Parts: sequence; structure tokens; C-alpha cells
Amino acid sequence: MNPALLPLLVAIPLLLSAVSLLWRRAAFQRTVLFVSPALTVGAGVWLLVTHAGEPAIAHAVGSFLPGIAIVFVSDSLSALLLVVTAAITVVASAFLVATGEDRYRFVTPLVVMLGAGVNGILLTGDLFNLFVFVEVMLMPSYALIAVSGTWRRLGIGRMFIIVNLVASTILVTGVGLVYGATGTVNLAMLRGVGAENPQAALAIAVVLLALLVKGGAVPAHGWLVRGYPGTSAAIMGLFSALHTKMGLYALYRVYATVFDGAAPYDWVLLIVVLVTIVLGAVGTLGERRMRGALAFQMVTGVGQILIGLVVFTQFSIAAGLFYMVHHMLTMGGLILGAGALEETYGSGRFDRLSGLMKREAMLAVTMALGLLSLVGLPPTSGLWGKVMLLGSATVGPSWRVALLLTAVALASISSLLALQHFWREVFWGPPIREFLPDDPLTHRGRRARVTETTRVHRRLLVPPVVLIGASVAMFALVGAVWPLFQRAALALVTLDPYVEAVFGG
Amino acid sequence: MVLIATIFVLVTGGVYLLLQRSMVRAVFGIGLLSHAANFVLLTSGVPGWRDEPLTNVSSTYTAADPLPQAFVLTAIVITLAATILMLAMSVIGHNDDMYRHPDTGESHEA
Repeated sequence: MNPALLPLLVAIPLLLSAVSLLWRRAAFQRTVLFVSPALTVGAGVWLLVTHAGEPAIAHAVGSFLPGIAIVFVSDSLSALLLVVTAAITVVASAFLVATGEDRYRFVTPLVVMLGAGVNGILLTGDLFNLFVFVEVMLMPSYALIAVSGTWRRLGIGRMFIIVNLVASTILVTGVGLVYGATGTVNLAMLRGVGAENPQAALAIAVVLLALLVKGGAVPAHGWLVRGYPGTSAAIMGLFSALHTKMGLYALYRVYATVFDGAAPYDWVLLIVVLVTIVLGAVGTLGERRMRGALAFQMVTGVGQILIGLVVFTQFSIAAGLFYMVHHMLTMGGLILGAGALEETYGSGRFDRLSGLMKREAMLAVTMALGLLSLVGLPPTSGLWGKVMLLGSATVGPSWRVALLLTAVALASISSLLALQHFWREVFWGPPIREFLPDDPLTHRGRRARVTETTRVHRRLLVPPVVLIGASVAMFALVGAVWPLFQRAALALVTLDPYVEAVFGG
Repeated sequence: MVLIATIFVLVTGGVYLLLQRSMVRAVFGIGLLSHAANFVLLTSGVPGWRDEPLTNVSSTYTAADPLPQAFVLTAIVITLAATILMLAMSVIGHNDDMYRHPDTGESHEA
């Protein structure tokens, strides 16, 4: 692939977003909603194929001298995540269409612009550009979180925007400090700087702090667990795959490049990871809504994904990335599944739902597989994710091994308890009698008796089934996909091709 | 030194305003914080007085570093957009600048 095409992955979605803002024909909007992420999937697959022979390609925008130019770089890691994020965007968009949310004003341009920001984050080779693309990703999401327009969502939108803006301010301050300490913000030029220059290491720590807040690590996880369940299920599914995971991707990229393996004060990250794993899992126990419980599971997932960075071997990074992709698929499937129930039965609260197993057999099977996947049981990708993470965590000082294994075990047990509660409340118990039908005018229906026709519509069922199906496929075909993750991890461990591509290209 | 003192004052004021209940004050707080961030970006170049970074006007020895200035420009544009969005949110939401729980439709019973 010609490296000069890389900026198009940002430019085309931005252009489509602008056009769909102006030309508001419903058929055109719907086409754009699917075509834009589908193009990204195609480009990502093409890049993955390219990277089998050529580990990294880079393009300096405007052909300025290397070191001055703003670069777009692609390696196996960015290509892999391009494919996964865009594929999940397609599925979440299908759910948006199924619930009719895509017909709210400006939803298509906003979702497509969100995708442009994500592609930019994945492909940029420059810290300041990373900040810019994070903002490109966040701006549409500020609007999306409140777009379906209940007062509750507006309140949550305020909190979400303030937390993210403060994190962005910290991020840009950190980027400024990095520039002050090293005289560059080009990631390839920053390689290994953190290990040699303590001033630069401190500056990078500010950047990492901001990325941890964006990733939703404890103690800055409150915005995630209170914000995400408040918005609609389709939007939450989109955000869970894109937002927090992009924060984690950036953490992986910056941490691996700048410290080149040897990070000073890595025990700080270890503590954050341990606390995040345990607190997220224990927090799930206290939730009384489906998506609230899932939001806490996202937090514990963040901690487990970051184990890859704490251990920092090629195996551990590959395992961390595998867990990240597994988590994006599983979480997306569960959130959309919960959303399908909420859409049909009018509530996601445990006390209003019960005995849905027989009624919604297909969805029940899907959700059961998803919950098994979260805990790490077969036949789902969660098993391999946990096995590989724990396997990779057994190297290094013995106290660290003990701490990591204990934290994951504690988290798995409390997640198991909490998700059993989830299952018992929603799918077992006496058959559901009353529900809150969706009033097309006020969206606040009166209680009504459940009838035979009250079923989850097939259109709502397909997206969660596809995502959980992908998780099951990752369990069965782990041998086929694992080399991809190894290649992605290799790109982070051996940085020579990355640096050469930036300076030679 | 003046720059550092300014950053200090801006951050202090920004954090204080951000912790207020009213959305409008929080917006002002964010404004102050992002100004502080812009000053941090400026200090990362050479903070002393320099010539314009234009090739045919000043020599490379006396010219300022153009990169932090470009950073600040970008950051200002982004903050402007976010501020407008937040001001819109503070208008269309409920008036929460008073001593009662804002009526957001949430309840605290389980």
C-alpha cells in the first residue's frame, strides 16, 4: 500500500461526515453510516496484508523533512485495531438503525466523525496530533451522549464533557512539557527518551496520567461507570469499543515507544492496575441495572488489559492486546444485548426484569456466552484472554507475580458472583408480567401486561449475536488469530522498523 | 517567572471554579485551566522575547520557536469549540445554580 494513502483514512470519513451534514436524505445518511466504517475495515485488512511483508509504513504529510513533518504511521498494531474498531462500529450502527436512533438529528455525521478521530489516533505518529485526534473523537461524542435528549442524559453529558475536557487539558499540558524537555513531539524521535532523561520521563508521566483518565482506570473511573449507563445502549456500545480502548491503545503506544521497555517508577502503574482490576470487579456487585454492572466490568477489564504493559514482554503485550480485542467484542455484544432487552421491555433494572430465559431463548444464550466470556470461561475468547494474560504474568519478581495473580483471581471470583446475580435477576425467576412499553410520543409508557407479541425484534437481536459470535469464533480459531496479535506486539517491542519507516519514508 | 506565576494563578482559579455547582462557573473554570495549559505550551519554547518566526524577516538565531505557537493556536481553537458546546449545554439543561437537587429525572431509591 502506498503510504501516501494513510491520511485518507482520516480525510475520507471527515469529508463523508461533512457531506452527510449537508445532504440529509435518509437513504444517503444510512449508506454513509455503513460505508465509512466499511471502507476503514477494507483499508485495515489491506494494511494487515501489507504488514506481513513490510512491518511499518509511514507518510510525512506535505513531504517536509523527517523530524519536522507530521507523520502518519501504520504498523501491525494500528492495522489490527483499525479493523476491529471499524467492524464494531458497523455492528453498533446496525443497532442504531434498529432502534431508530440514527434518525435523530446529526447522528450519522457525528458517528462518522467519531470514526475519523479513532482512525487518526491509531495512525498518528506525533503526540500533539494524538491530542488533536482525541479531541476529534470526543467532540462528536459530547453531542452523541445527549442526542436522544432526556434530561438525565443532558446531566450526564455535562459531567462527561467536563471530565474529558480536564483530561484533555492535562494531556496537552503534558505534550507541552514533553516538547520543553526534549524539543520534539514526534514519537519515533522520542524513542527510549524516557529511560535516559528523567525530565522527559516526568513529562511523559503527565501524558500517561491523562490517558489513564481517558481509559477509565481507578481512581478516575467514576465518570465511566456513571456516564456510560446513562446514555443509550447503542451509543454505549460504540463508546465502549472506541473511547476507553483508544485511551488504552495510546497508553500502549506511548509507554512502549518512549520508555522502550524500561520504565522508571513502573510500580505506580502496577498499583493502578491492581486497584483497577479489583475495584471494578467488586463494584459490579453493587449495581442494580444491567448496563451499570457492565460498566463496572469495563473498569476491571481496563486493569486486566494493562497487565500487558506492567509485565512488558512480547508475550504479555500480545496477551494484553488479545484481551483488549476480546473485551471490545464481548462488552459490545453484552451492552447491545442489554440494550435490546431495554428497548423491548422498557427497563434495564434488575427488579423490573425476570424470567426472560424461555421468552428470549436466543438472546439468553447470547448473553450467557457473553457473561461466561467476561469471567473467562469456555467456549469464548475470554478463556484464552485470561489464560494468556495469567501465563504472561508469571515472569518477573515473585512478589509481582503473586500480586497480579491474586488480583485477577479475586476479580474473577467477584465478577462471577456479580454476573450470576445479573443472570438470576434477568433470566431466571418468575416469568415477567408487566413492562413499560415505549410510547412513541413521550417515550414514557404506562405499565402494561406482557403479551405474546412482546418479543425482542430480530433486528435488535442480530448485532449482539454477531459480536458474541465473533468472541466464540476467537475461541475456536485462536490458533489462526494469535499470530496477528504476536505481530502487533512485536511492533511495540522492536521499534526499529517503526523508526526507520518514519525517517526513511 | 511571571509566566509561572500566571500559570499558578490560572490553575488555582480554574480548579476553584470547576468545583462549583453551576455549569456556567465550571465552563469559566475550564477556560482558565486551558489558558494555563496554553501558557505551559508557550513556556516549552523559549519564554523570552524573540523575533517573528518568518524566514525572510528574522534570522534563525533570533526567531522564536514556531511550533509551540502552532500548538497554542490549535489548542485555542479546540477549547473555543468545546466552550461553545458547554455553554449550550448549560443553557438547555436545568438551572442548577441553587441549593436543591437538580431535577434530572434521576431518583436515588434503588
